[in-house]
Amino acid sequence: MSATFIHRKNRSTGLIALAAALAMLGLGYASVPLYRLFCQVTGFNGTTQRVSVAQANSVSVASRTMSVRFDANVERGLAWKFKPLQITDTVSIGARDMAIFTAKNLSDKAITGTATFNVEPAYLAKYFNKIQCFCFTEQTLRPGQEVRMPVLYFIDPAIMDDPLADDVEQLTLSYTFHPVAGETANALDRTGSGS
Amino acid sequence: MATSAPESTHGQTTDHAHDDHDHKPRFFARWFMSTNHKDIGTLYLILAIFGGIVGGAFSGMMRMELAEPGIQYLDFFARLLGTENPSFVETLHLWNVLITAHGLIMVFFMVMPAIIGGFGNWFVPLMIGAPDMAFPRMNNISFWMTAAGFISLLISAFVPGGYGNGAGIGWTAYAPLSTYGSQGLSTDFAIFSLHLAGAGSIMGAINFITTILNMRAPGMTIHKMPLFVWSMLVTAFLLLLSLPVLAAAITMLITDRNFGTTFFDPAGGGDPVLFQHLFWFFGHPEVYIMILPGFGIISQVISTFSKKPVFGYLGMAYAMVAIGVVGFIVWAHHMYTTGMSVNTKMYFTAATMVIAVPTGIKIFSWIATMWGGSLEFKSPMVWAMGFIFLFTMGGVTGVVLANGGVDDIVHDTYYVVAHFHYVLSLGAVTALFCGFFYWFPKMSGKMHSEFLAHLQFWVFFVGVNTLFFPQHFLGLQGMPRRYPDYAEAYAYWNGVSSIGYSIMAISLVIWFVNIIYAYTMGKKAEGNYWGEGATTLEWTLTSPPPFHQFETLPVIEDKGHH
Amino acid sequence: MPFCIMKGGQSIIPPITESESTKTMNFRKHAMAVGRKLRALGFGLALLAGHQAALAASPAEVAPEAETAAEAASTYIRMAPTEGKGLPVDGRLGLQDQYSALGDYGYWVHNSVLMPIITAISLFVLFLLLYVVARYNRRSNPVPSRTSHNTVIEVIWTLLPVLILVGIAVPSIDLLAKQFKPAAEDTLTIKATGNQWYWTYSYPDNGEFELVSNMLNLPGYPVINNGVREVGSDASDGPGQFEVDNRLVVPAGEPIRMQITAADVIHAFAVPSLWFKLDAVPGRINEKVLTITEPGVYYGQCSELCGPKHAYMPIAIEALPREEFNAWVLSQPGGKIDGQDEPEALPAAGDTTEAAPQADEA
Repeated sequence: MSATFIHRKNRSTGLIALAAALAMLGLGYASVPLYRLFCQVTGFNGTTQRVSVAQANSVSVASRTMSVRFDANVERGLAWKFKPLQITDTVSIGARDMAIFTAKNLSDKAITGTATFNVEPAYLAKYFNKIQCFCFTEQTLRPGQEVRMPVLYFIDPAIMDDPLADDVEQLTLSYTFHPVAGETANALDRTGSGS
Repeated sequence: MATSAPESTHGQTTDHAHDDHDHKPRFFARWFMSTNHKDIGTLYLILAIFGGIVGGAFSGMMRMELAEPGIQYLDFFARLLGTENPSFVETLHLWNVLITAHGLIMVFFMVMPAIIGGFGNWFVPLMIGAPDMAFPRMNNISFWMTAAGFISLLISAFVPGGYGNGAGIGWTAYAPLSTYGSQGLSTDFAIFSLHLAGAGSIMGAINFITTILNMRAPGMTIHKMPLFVWSMLVTAFLLLLSLPVLAAAITMLITDRNFGTTFFDPAGGGDPVLFQHLFWFFGHPEVYIMILPGFGIISQVISTFSKKPVFGYLGMAYAMVAIGVVGFIVWAHHMYTTGMSVNTKMYFTAATMVIAVPTGIKIFSWIATMWGGSLEFKSPMVWAMGFIFLFTMGGVTGVVLANGGVDDIVHDTYYVVAHFHYVLSLGAVTALFCGFFYWFPKMSGKMHSEFLAHLQFWVFFVGVNTLFFPQHFLGLQGMPRRYPDYAEAYAYWNGVSSIGYSIMAISLVIWFVNIIYAYTMGKKAEGNYWGEGATTLEWTLTSPPPFHQFETLPVIEDKGHH
Repeated sequence: MPFCIMKGGQSIIPPITESESTKTMNFRKHAMAVGRKLRALGFGLALLAGHQAALAASPAEVAPEAETAAEAASTYIRMAPTEGKGLPVDGRLGLQDQYSALGDYGYWVHNSVLMPIITAISLFVLFLLLYVVARYNRRSNPVPSRTSHNTVIEVIWTLLPVLILVGIAVPSIDLLAKQFKPAAEDTLTIKATGNQWYWTYSYPDNGEFELVSNMLNLPGYPVINNGVREVGSDASDGPGQFEVDNRLVVPAGEPIRMQITAADVIHAFAVPSLWFKLDAVPGRINEKVLTITEPGVYYGQCSELCGPKHAYMPIAIEALPREEFNAWVLSQPGGKIDGQDEPEALPAAGDTTEAAPQADEA
């Protein structure tokens, strides 16, 4: 084996290894959209499904009912009062239902927020279909303004075929409002209550 | 079966030391622009010793603070590190800085530089009969990037980190505590230090893979490589595939912190739990990165001092491959309490327990290697046997933690701290000392004191067990980790644990004395000072080996074992 | 409806007159005696009985209590913790005693399945090491064998661990399944929110009140939470670093749907004596069912690094018999008993406008 042969062989091995490292780096970044996609497809992490009105219309209503609990949170520093109008609701599986949340700006200046959501138990989130909702849409509230935020949803009848759902009587749909980055940075008080 | 290349014969390399070729560059060129794998290995070892002193000092400060309930010393430490009149929150923040720095330093600037950069660089080329690493200049860059990473981490301790100087995000740097939860440049410096060390390690991994795959001496097939080389090959692949994911994750942390992205910020649709997935996709292979080379060292040492070939060589090699592969698909067992669904938890419970099988194969194969051997209890052997026992204890608590349902009570408690210190502080570090006493005379040309090495082992053994065994009890009683302060009910075992630290610290003093002894009064080491059991190629060379070795490649003949 | 945030040391306990307090003391004593008898009948039965008693009690007794809310309020007295119950014990070796349905099983899995196996494995390895030291040292065995293969033994030490692991996996998977057993529709739901560095608790089924739970200040320390009293200033206080001003009050003997979230960084809601630990992640809720088997005060601590005062945001759960819990709820501003239908008051039309319906972008 000549020195130049080893040299060339080393270079190609090294480059293949480098390519593998770069591929993993790419995979690291790609994981963000892939993870989101994965969550949307499988309902992993409590991600709900999004459907169109037409799709919703094609669903047949079953006789089995299910209770849905609504939960509302605000990130610390967002001077809003955010709550569901109804704590729980009983819906027929497959039937469309509307839940209403209200949000009120408690401060004396306009604040913009966006909402995130999840469903518990998370493994059933894939059956929770939202036709319309306010998540990830920026909402600006004037000082003291209160708005009603409707969520139109239905539970996929496929849930009745899932053995994991057999004992589940209640799903929780939870929303959290966050201040839009930068906008209310000075309103964020992240220190504790003491020294 | 190897046919001898005409220009070389096996075992004639011993008297290369006084060759005319063996002239060394001058001081600056030799140590700052080095392309020699042995010099770079030495540099890594020096960095690791320095890192170990800093990281060890931090853990000393932590054990001092935890010796009794209440906050006693943090204020003093904060002043020592340059904060004038620290507030109570600043002193508490210092605690988080200490735990963060201790974790990062011990992982990235102590264990990894020592076992991969140090022993790997020194002995992989020697053991496979190569003149040097495949890319000597890249090797140099790898080292200096690691060193720069260490400096960046040290700088981070002295710049503002939100509640005081330093980054208090934990070595895991979970978002959002590491994003909007900690203002100030300090966290950026800490993250950047991981970028540097990570890039250095990726280059090191490319170097090892290329070296091991292409530069083995004629006749050394992949199934004849010493197990230490096998362990380095598996480790290099783990580094190559896991570190880029960490790099991506922490780059996203940096952009979330400074450029308004929301990869991990729920406010913009990001998910903080995704960071944990990415971190542990790196982090779990990382723990094998730290321990696998240790496995390799232990295999060499056990075989040497039993005067027997390693039992079940192929099983040993492929057990490491299996550990490496399975190590990539168990990461979420670090995240059992993040709100996973039942199926995910069951999968990760089952997958994690699978790792116990190849690990068990290794433990039993080491014992089988000793079985029927003619055991000589030189210092490396004593350390290796200590390793087997301590690593077993760390391993079995790992089986407990693998159970998703049981982890709910011990997750993030001192039980976890005890577990990973048993496998790392008592496992990897014991393997490091084992390798150190095995190879130190080879590297330095001076014999250490066997008496001091034995004494150090027993003091260390008593010390670390006193230090970490009671932490199991604290964890089972519910004491959370990363707490600077605790209720009276945790006082007893914490006190014992702190006493253990002092004993362990004495063992390190003995070690330093031993090094000084070796350099001042140590006898000159022969080429093969361990005798007939030491059969790998490095023992065919002088101690220390010539600056350039194997200019004529050794030829490995099939002796018919395995 | 008032949206009440009680932050700092504001007491939630109305002053108690002496006669009332003796009355309740007698009641408590009686209740505890009954509880002890029931426990003698066995855990399962006690659980069942307690649950049914609570169910039976709600329509008959609770309704009149609700009418005289002011009087009912005074029947709540802050409970003093029992030593060694819901708390760590100094110098102890094992797990804390368990007071939840899941905990009893988990305790068994850990102590009776895992511990014997891992102890046996460790001792076996230690024995083998000592044996080879004694038998195969240089003096006893000067000529080493060259054995480096034995297929039979290699197969054995691969398969045997597999069997052991399968043996562990069976109860372990069972424990996991139990952990995820969903609760019935009418299960009381309580939400805990982690904040830097305190917990807030809300009871969506019991009205709109919210508790802010700060650790009590520690003697000899700088003030950790402004306006909060020092630990030990009340006879019912538990140990420092565990005790809080407003405890999470829950009913004992029935499942509770615990929903956990965080308002800033990640925290973790953990109570070792109830086998409960769940991360509080901002932007989402996590849910787990908790069934506390008997009344008592149970303590836990935040278990995910959340900043400088991570060590100073403990969790204190006070589990009460159902009727006492109901009385406590009624003592809260706007508190109402869960499961009782009340017409939901619609908010005044005033400034209320419908938000423009948006297509879901999720």
